[in-house]
Amino acid sequence: MPNRYSPPTKLQVLASYGLAVVLVSVALLVSLALQHSLGNPFWFFFSAAVILSTWFGRSGAGWLAVVYSTLAVMYYFTPPLHSFAVSVSEMPLFLAFVVCEVGVTQLISWRKRTEDALRRSRDELEARVAERTTELRNANAALVQQMAEQKRTEEALQVTRTELARVARITTIGELTASIAHEVNQPLAAVVANADACVAWLAREHPDLVEARAAAERATQGATRASEVIARIRSLITKATPEKSQLQINQVIEQTAALAAGQASRNEVAIELELAPELPPVLGDSIQLQQVIVNLLMNGIEAMSSVTDRPKTLVVRSESQKDGQIRVSVQDAGIGLSPEVMGRLFEPFFTTRAKGMGMGLPISRSIIEAHGGRLWAASNGSGGAIFQFTLPSGDGPAA
Amino acid sequence: MKEQDPVVFVIDDDKMVRDGLQSLIRSVGLQVETFASAQDFLAAKRPDAPACLILDVRMPGLSGLDLQLKLNEAEIYIPIIFITGHGDIPMSVRAMKEGAHEFLTKPWRSQDLLDAIQKAIASGRELRKERQELNEVRSRFDTLTPREKEVLDLVVAGLLNKQIADQLGTSELTVKTHRAHVMEKTNADSLAQLVRMAEKIKNSPRR
Repeated sequence: MPNRYSPPTKLQVLASYGLAVVLVSVALLVSLALQHSLGNPFWFFFSAAVILSTWFGRSGAGWLAVVYSTLAVMYYFTPPLHSFAVSVSEMPLFLAFVVCEVGVTQLISWRKRTEDALRRSRDELEARVAERTTELRNANAALVQQMAEQKRTEEALQVTRTELARVARITTIGELTASIAHEVNQPLAAVVANADACVAWLAREHPDLVEARAAAERATQGATRASEVIARIRSLITKATPEKSQLQINQVIEQTAALAAGQASRNEVAIELELAPELPPVLGDSIQLQQVIVNLLMNGIEAMSSVTDRPKTLVVRSESQKDGQIRVSVQDAGIGLSPEVMGRLFEPFFTTRAKGMGMGLPISRSIIEAHGGRLWAASNGSGGAIFQFTLPSGDGPAA
Repeated sequence: MKEQDPVVFVIDDDKMVRDGLQSLIRSVGLQVETFASAQDFLAAKRPDAPACLILDVRMPGLSGLDLQLKLNEAEIYIPIIFITGHGDIPMSVRAMKEGAHEFLTKPWRSQDLLDAIQKAIASGRELRKERQELNEVRSRFDTLTPREKEVLDLVVAGLLNKQIADQLGTSELTVKTHRAHVMEKTNADSLAQLVRMAEKIKNSPRR
């Protein structure tokens, strides 16, 4: 690595002057010692002293060496000797000597200055590059940290969102309790009735095996239905991370409508399904989609609670759109949506219900959007509201 | 007149429950007719036989309680056994006040249900008998002339023949004749019986 340029310290300047004096003195002594055998060698030795002084000590020392050696030459080697005068005959040689010395000093110190300037700019450049590199490195490190932080935040957010969705599901389940009780009791009632009927048919004087068998089969069906209800409820409560699979939206709608059937009949609401046959499958999480539909159904049932002058009908439709998306709509004959309510429907914690949490629709919307679809509300022509969502079909381009 | 066999009507929106009940009730030798909704029941032609009605309280459309009120308004008296998945007290009270025969929660014990059905049919039969008697009495009373009705009212009110004659501005003999006609036409053996029949007709609304 090249030496870094730095301006000479005071000590270095003093040392360079000392070096000049020493060098010229050495040249003087050597010249004095050798003048008899070599004639006039001052030329050579003094030049060497001046060159070395200038080289190592720069122009100041160079000038000192020039002055010192000129004086020494005048005093010791140009007639009249031992005086600072120079005879006319010696003048050309002496002047040539001086000019040479000065020239050499100038040349070398110019060279040195250029070198220093070069080194300085190179050092500056290097310093700047190093500085920039450090800056870049710091920025990079900061960025990496930020990214890690963001990732952590995102993960935390995802966990929170999943948890919130689960809580909302459980809240919905709470609201559905009566419905669930009905849903479980209904098949159980059928099981009991059919099992007892089976026994009664067998206990007759002439046992009717055909009737007994039919009753036993119906009892089995009832038990199966009860266990399905329980499986549905369990799947709705479990803390599952979203899992997408190919599913038939009509099946999801039917299952969900069955879950809400009790709640509907409790409120004297009829749920009508108008499902388009042979819809393409959608890619989605069945539990989350069930949650969305349950929410919409519960809202619809709730919206019709004060209706007395018209049939309380909740229509659930599924259809295929021209663009390949699948649209599901839930239409009620309730009180409808005022513009004020309409504007705030999807705000978290906005609710028109006394016991509502106000999270149903925002969560539903985020679920649908996570599926690549859209959820929106509108007033329908006959006074109620209609909530619709779209989902990309499983074999469509957006999946 | 030979009485027709009793019929049990079942109204429940759940086919599985409906089929189960039907099988259960048929297995004990009773006739059953099932309906998916209250509207279907109202629209159907019902046989004139002793009957009882098994009704799910909560149903889409017309609820069980609504049907009960409608039947009462139409003066169709069928003993009702309510069944419900989630019986709550106010609902039971309302149903009982409107004359529900029994209130069972799902899942019920089949024996309870069959017992309730038997009792309900018995009471339905009783009700029909009373109603038939009443109708007979009423048709007998309907043959009275307006003058005879006036006399009847005053007799029932406890007035003596002389007082009645004074009130109607006629002779005691004429009153006696009217009174004899009333006793004859209503087939009353005694004054006490006449009063009881008159009270019965007054207290029950005309069908």
